[in-house]
Amino acid sequence: MSDVYLAGVGMIPFRVHKERILVDMAGEAAALALQDSGIDPGRVDMGFFASATTAVLYKDVTVGQNVYWQLGINRIPIFNVENACTSGSTGIYLACNAIAAGQAEVAMVVGGEKMCVPEMGLLNSGATELDTQLGLVTPASFAMRAARHMAEFGTTLEQMAAVAVKNRRHAALNPMAQFSKPISAEDVLASPPIADPLTRLQCCPIADGAAAVVLCSSRVAKETAGALRVRAWAYCTGDYQNPQDMARWGTDYRTCAKAYELAGLKPGDLDLVECHDAFTIAEILHYEALGLCEPGQGGRLAAEGQTALGGPIPVNPSGGLLSRGHPPGATGLAQVWELAVQLRHQAGPRQVPGASVGLAHCMGGDKDGDSKSCTVIILTN
Amino acid sequence: MQADRDQQCQPVVPGIFRASSGGQGLELVGGHCPACHRYYFPRPPRCPYCLGQVEEQGLGATGTLYTYTVVRVRPPYGLPSPYALGYVDLDGNGLRVLGLLAPESLDKLEIGMRLRLAVGQLGCDVGGAPCLRPYFEPAPPHPSQGMQPDV
Repeated sequence: MSDVYLAGVGMIPFRVHKERILVDMAGEAAALALQDSGIDPGRVDMGFFASATTAVLYKDVTVGQNVYWQLGINRIPIFNVENACTSGSTGIYLACNAIAAGQAEVAMVVGGEKMCVPEMGLLNSGATELDTQLGLVTPASFAMRAARHMAEFGTTLEQMAAVAVKNRRHAALNPMAQFSKPISAEDVLASPPIADPLTRLQCCPIADGAAAVVLCSSRVAKETAGALRVRAWAYCTGDYQNPQDMARWGTDYRTCAKAYELAGLKPGDLDLVECHDAFTIAEILHYEALGLCEPGQGGRLAAEGQTALGGPIPVNPSGGLLSRGHPPGATGLAQVWELAVQLRHQAGPRQVPGASVGLAHCMGGDKDGDSKSCTVIILTN
Repeated sequence: MQADRDQQCQPVVPGIFRASSGGQGLELVGGHCPACHRYYFPRPPRCPYCLGQVEEQGLGATGTLYTYTVVRVRPPYGLPSPYALGYVDLDGNGLRVLGLLAPESLDKLEIGMRLRLAVGQLGCDVGGAPCLRPYFEPAPPHPSQGMQPDV
């Protein structure tokens, strides 16, 4: 197996990009990533394109080939990846496998979404599923986890609000964040209710956007300044066992444990984490699955500021999905973008001092009270 | 009137509940694998653990509320606004199932409360036609007593 390196990252700000089309946004992010890597597009020998909503919203398929054509990249194998909120990070998982197996020397992952359109309702578990037809929408899933976590562990509304306040404070230091105006816990709890106990400022907004990464083998990395080592790429689907423990998310714990094992690292080795804070309670659950605290203590961890910049383990120094917005095809790539900037010590006022180990965590889909996918990627400089 | 309308409506998904004529014996219907002794709701086409046949299985009508939420954004499928959802631990089979909660019970919901199954016209099906959905309503704390809750 070859070691795998991250050679370059690119991203356009996530916003409502009303005048732009997906293929152009994705092409721009991809060009930025190539430029960042210094690798000639002609050396890319495998490409992945990730998007969760394009086929549904536009009935448009095999979009990846259109994106890569813009960069003069053709003839090579290109794969179109859909895996709900982990579409982008699943692309990274596949690209890493290809490089490790010697099937590619340079593999790219590009992901994007053009979803700020009236037809886009709330995300759900899939229209043909009974749960969906009984009224399950994604915020409701997380609201029920929050209610259970509060009942079992005494997690409070104020602790959940602390996650949103912290991530927005981080976002104020990040020019790529969509929402950077500071908010207070009172603002969070007084924002319009979505699914009790979650209010609007506890739910990540959707966005249009695109991001890309260039990955390479150790041979190519030797010629590439500033390449970062990909120490682990882990991906688990759910077990869908009944009953599911909704306050201790088995699939989340399982994927995090696998990533630590692959990397030979433990939670205390991490300098920063970008995690899937699609909802405030999600970030709290992920702290526990990642082993940043004991089960049930995630709310306290957030409220004490331990996951804020300046604390022992900063989580979502970028501002997270809550501040960036969530175009699923690009989110997992945007998380790795932030890790790259931090591990190169180029994050400016939000730099985690001396960062050398970063972890990106992403989760997606809903089935039988479980997640359909969870990915964890660990990078070192 | 309500009963007349209900009779004209079809279940949102066929085969997920049953009742004898007159509404007695209402229960959820799922599956049971006789080889693995596992229960399922809804009934899968085959047992994911042994790939064997799954028998149709009544799953009863009572349980305990494990967690819940009241959804306050625009509801899908013409459901009432707001509407409540919960996971319910069914009696007797160990299943934890997602269910709608009675629209009139929103201010009475509490984790651990006893629930019983009801069926009524609630929202529309995927084609937009009014349809029947199963939901859970508050039940007395001791199911054997058969009393109405005094709330």
